[in-house]
Amino acid sequence: MTFPKGLAPTLVVLLVLTLLVAAPLLAIAADTLGSPAWHDALFSRLSRNLTWIPLGNTLLLGLGTALGSVLIGGFLAWLVVLTDVPLRRTLAVLATLPFMIPSFATALAWSSLFRNSRTGGSTGLLAGLGVDSPDWLAWGMIPTLFVLIAQYYALVFTVLSAALAALSGDALEAAVMTGAPRRRILAGIVLPMVTPALLAGASLAFAAAVSNFAAPALMGLPVRMQTLSTRLFGMIEIGQTERGYVLALLLILVSAAFLAAGNRLLAGRRRFATISGKGARRHRMKLGRARWPLCWAALGICFITTLGPILLLVAASLAPQSSALFSDWTLHFWIGAADPGFARGQEGILRNPQIVKALWITLGLGLAVAIAAVAIGLLAAVVLTGPRLRVLTEAVSQLSFLPMLLPGIAFGAAFIAIYGAGIGPLPGLYGTPLLLGLALTAASLPFAVQTGRATVAQISGDIDEAARMTGAGFLHRIGAITLPLAAKGIIAGALLVFVNVVGDLAIVALLYTPDTPVLSVLSYRYASDGFQQFANAITLIILAVSIAATALAQLLKGRRP
Amino acid sequence: MRISLPVLTLSAVAASTLALPAAAQDLDGLTVAELLPHAEAEGSVIVYSFTSRIGRVEEAFEAAYPGIDMIGYDLSSTEQIARLKAEAEAGQTVADVIYVSDTPVVMTELLQKDLLADYVPPRVADRVPTEFKSPLLAQRLSTKVLMYNEESYPEGAPVDSLWDLTRPEWAGKVVMVDPLQRGDYLDLMTEIVLRADEMAAAYEAEFGTAITVEDGLANAGEQFIADLFANDVVLVGSTDDVNAAIGAVGQENAPLGFTSYSDRRDNADEGWALQVANEVAPSNGIVFPAVLALTAAPQHPAAARLAIDFLMGDDSETGGAGFAPFYVAGDWATRSDITPHPEAIALEDFTGWRINPEATAEIRAAVADLILTLQ
Repeated sequence: MTFPKGLAPTLVVLLVLTLLVAAPLLAIAADTLGSPAWHDALFSRLSRNLTWIPLGNTLLLGLGTALGSVLIGGFLAWLVVLTDVPLRRTLAVLATLPFMIPSFATALAWSSLFRNSRTGGSTGLLAGLGVDSPDWLAWGMIPTLFVLIAQYYALVFTVLSAALAALSGDALEAAVMTGAPRRRILAGIVLPMVTPALLAGASLAFAAAVSNFAAPALMGLPVRMQTLSTRLFGMIEIGQTERGYVLALLLILVSAAFLAAGNRLLAGRRRFATISGKGARRHRMKLGRARWPLCWAALGICFITTLGPILLLVAASLAPQSSALFSDWTLHFWIGAADPGFARGQEGILRNPQIVKALWITLGLGLAVAIAAVAIGLLAAVVLTGPRLRVLTEAVSQLSFLPMLLPGIAFGAAFIAIYGAGIGPLPGLYGTPLLLGLALTAASLPFAVQTGRATVAQISGDIDEAARMTGAGFLHRIGAITLPLAAKGIIAGALLVFVNVVGDLAIVALLYTPDTPVLSVLSYRYASDGFQQFANAITLIILAVSIAATALAQLLKGRRP
Repeated sequence: MRISLPVLTLSAVAASTLALPAAAQDLDGLTVAELLPHAEAEGSVIVYSFTSRIGRVEEAFEAAYPGIDMIGYDLSSTEQIARLKAEAEAGQTVADVIYVSDTPVVMTELLQKDLLADYVPPRVADRVPTEFKSPLLAQRLSTKVLMYNEESYPEGAPVDSLWDLTRPEWAGKVVMVDPLQRGDYLDLMTEIVLRADEMAAAYEAEFGTAITVEDGLANAGEQFIADLFANDVVLVGSTDDVNAAIGAVGQENAPLGFTSYSDRRDNADEGWALQVANEVAPSNGIVFPAVLALTAAPQHPAAARLAIDFLMGDDSETGGAGFAPFYVAGDWATRSDITPHPEAIALEDFTGWRINPEATAEIRAAVADLILTLQ
């Protein structure tokens, strides 16, 4: 009796995904079965405002963000990896940062320029100059789209630059030697070879955009623009959880349809293998006179999308008044001793004994989850790019993509309900860091799987085939061939997972315990009582951790040939 | 206080089997002195709180009862409800006490599903008016009321009726949090519908004619909400956004908005000029409770009762250390013997409507549906 090639690993991955993703998802779906919420959402007088208009806005934002991110992230990745543009290293670090900056900071940056008098208070720079910015520029679709693209082009950049860096120089070299024009090289050789990475990056940007809450809430609400994420958050918040879950499930269905379309595109032309065993060292494309102008353009994009928001975050952690971010700066919120006359007697965050502990726990959690998620992601990627077992691989592909679209609170609650109490001989996990780690691993799978498959898809099957013929087993082949060849993609994936974990609040809020404090919860604690400065200071610490991780990842990548 | 949870659970089980022949009903009648030895045997108490101020209560509690470790979780009402329901499904209740403000949802989602139990400490029972003792014990009252910028309007509030907000001159100049994003704002809208008769009377007083309610709307309250949305009410995402919009100094013709009266205490810190509009017909908004309750099967039943007793304040005029974090201008203690904050309007002079969480819960979803069609 023979099994189809690749059945065993597929089943293993499927089992893991069933436990981590499908079970909680089914638990959430089961809660909505027989609920009138389905009728309300789809066929009632409420459906228009509850579902259809928010769904339309959501898709517009998702597709717009994916497109914009591919353009900007793609441009930067090309510039940094394939050309001789100056300041490549700096650009490479700067272009990964926006993903780590919380949406509210980027939204704040936009507002401080374009905010008009619609919500009273203080207006933006433009209004200060006497130009009243119109509502469409200050609020709604345009600014939300800008904020989302400004953040998520970094996803495309991270995935794509890893894939580009892994490209074999041979094909490019040949093209250059035959004197093909740059445009032809790009369109005819580079683009087809990195299609998997482009699609992976675009899918991540799409998912991140449609599930983002802060940007549409801050920029959309004043002109009553709702998205599915603001709607479902609101429904859960006002106690109509079933409606919230129904909206989440609809979001998943629609997104899954888009993902399937993307997969079909990939499956249609499945020859992307571009990493062969040895490759000629690549020559960088000469930009000539365009070197500096393009460098300035790239720097401009990076500065606007990273330094602007970071500067505002710093100011917001130093200024006593949120309405006057650049006056009366004080370090009190960082290092001040408790003073009854200031900030209602709260001491600076660096004096909070919980901070150091939370920092270590956050780091540990981020690292552990990154390793676990990347391991699963790699396995899933191998399965996805290996011999296709139609239904099974499709299931793996979809399941590994969904967690990003589920509301964190629903996901967390489902994890408690399923794994909180013991199952048979297994002990209950509620209140343990393990449950937190499992839930975060599940939530991070999209990053791990998408980056994994983008690189693994490039690895030539010939090498694997050769190894198989010499009798190497599945695990051995992964360790000896896939891992080393996909290293850059793996590091990129681990980085995205790590950053996602250290900044996550939605899932953590339901699963943390007081003896496992994490930074995002501490930040939320301050914010929930109106101490924005302290919350911003902790956000900056999270950002610093993420940037340090990026630098480390760059270092690791740089050491590989 | 840093014991890992499983260990803690085990020790609690061990402790409760040793020290607890007493059933829950018996514990309810015990005085603080009688509760203390049981509570000390339990060793700890776990509180889910909707405010980070629980941290300061923790310190004070552990100073007062050195043998008992209070462990506070800072969770929003929504998160508390999600946690408690999931815990119940997993058959593992962690929290002993919850401190929460979203009472209409708490009533329907938790109390009616028997996940909570009411407890009124005997020590303060005779000093808490009946309306605040049932169905759950209210510890203090907060607000969502109409406020204005006192720098922009030095003569006082520029409106004297809620109906003013539907006039053309206030188009696009009334700010509030989207009632479909935050429960307390939905409660405010719901109360306006519940008080439809008062809204109708105020309409007539304001415009001189009886109100005509449009087709599809049930009463004057719903008509007001429809008119408010038709008058381009500006929705934002959080109370802080409302405060910044209406409160920021240096504005001419600042907008008005619904927010918390107690946020006025941040005026100096934040550069705001928030002031409450109290002389508003028929009311300036709502006054709602923050409640304390036991979970259905607390693992530390005696310590839980002791914690609730502590959070209700001691016998001094301002409630002492247990109540200190909540003794702020613009919030009111429910205990009749705690001296009102000197810098705030007394509760009996405040025009805000006292919500009835059960009545609110009944029509809240219908009001949400109405607002959904207006957006």
